[in-house]
Amino acid sequence: MSLKDLNRSLWVFHVNSGSCNGCDIEIVATLTPRYDIERFGMKLVGTPRHADVLLVTGPVTRDMEKKLRRVFDQTPDPKVVMVIGNCGSTGGVFYESYNLVGPVDRIIPVDVYVAGCPPRPEAIIEGVVKVWAKLEKRGEKK
Amino acid sequence: MFEMAKELLKQLFRKPFTNRFPSKHVPKSTTKLLKNVKEGMAKVNRPVPIPEGFRGKIAYDKEKCIGCKLCIKVCPANCYDFLEKERKVKYHLSRCTFCAQCVDVCPVNALTSTKEFLLSDYKTH
Repeated sequence: MSLKDLNRSLWVFHVNSGSCNGCDIEIVATLTPRYDIERFGMKLVGTPRHADVLLVTGPVTRDMEKKLRRVFDQTPDPKVVMVIGNCGSTGGVFYESYNLVGPVDRIIPVDVYVAGCPPRPEAIIEGVVKVWAKLEKRGEKK
Repeated sequence: MFEMAKELLKQLFRKPFTNRFPSKHVPKSTTKLLKNVKEGMAKVNRPVPIPEGFRGKIAYDKEKCIGCKLCIKVCPANCYDFLEKERKVKYHLSRCTFCAQCVDVCPVNALTSTKEFLLSDYKTH
């Protein structure tokens, strides 16, 4: 998959897989007029079937494992997965929880990790830039 | 009526509140823009200024560290590994919660909070 396959505005679906809501608030903050991610054509959509990008926040709890897998399968195929926050990339403060099935990359493949607890909205935007660069590089190889 | 016209005129000449980080719109080629920025040919807009006392990525001075393990004891996210041979620690950015308790507890100030926060990557650290 390259940017040519994805020749449209990136629409985003947000999955909360047991996050503390810190990262979720920062994702919403990127949509506010102060940061205004809609100037790049991105917006949050209500269903994974409309999305190109999955934003996953939180370490994956036992309850959310199946649902996360299902959401990933429901997203149409040229897709990108971004993990927002340190919980999703390593487990963060919940690393030794009995209810943790593992970081997100143990369940679905992840393209970009945004570090931070929670990351500032600019850090999320920088993650999007990284996604873009990755897609363009893949396009050049083809 | 005149009140509204006044407000309208004011709004007309005011800059938008949006902080245009990193660029106003999507560039034609992101890789090219990133390359140009690296070489100093192009500039990106700065992020919103961070507040005072912001706790960003933690800087670790290996020379100063005496290997007392206090940071390991105090860390809620287990983000330090102890290197037995050197008697130093290894900091893992992806596990950190940026609480900066290690900065407060470090007796030799080997750990300091920086203002770095643009930390996304293709892999975990």
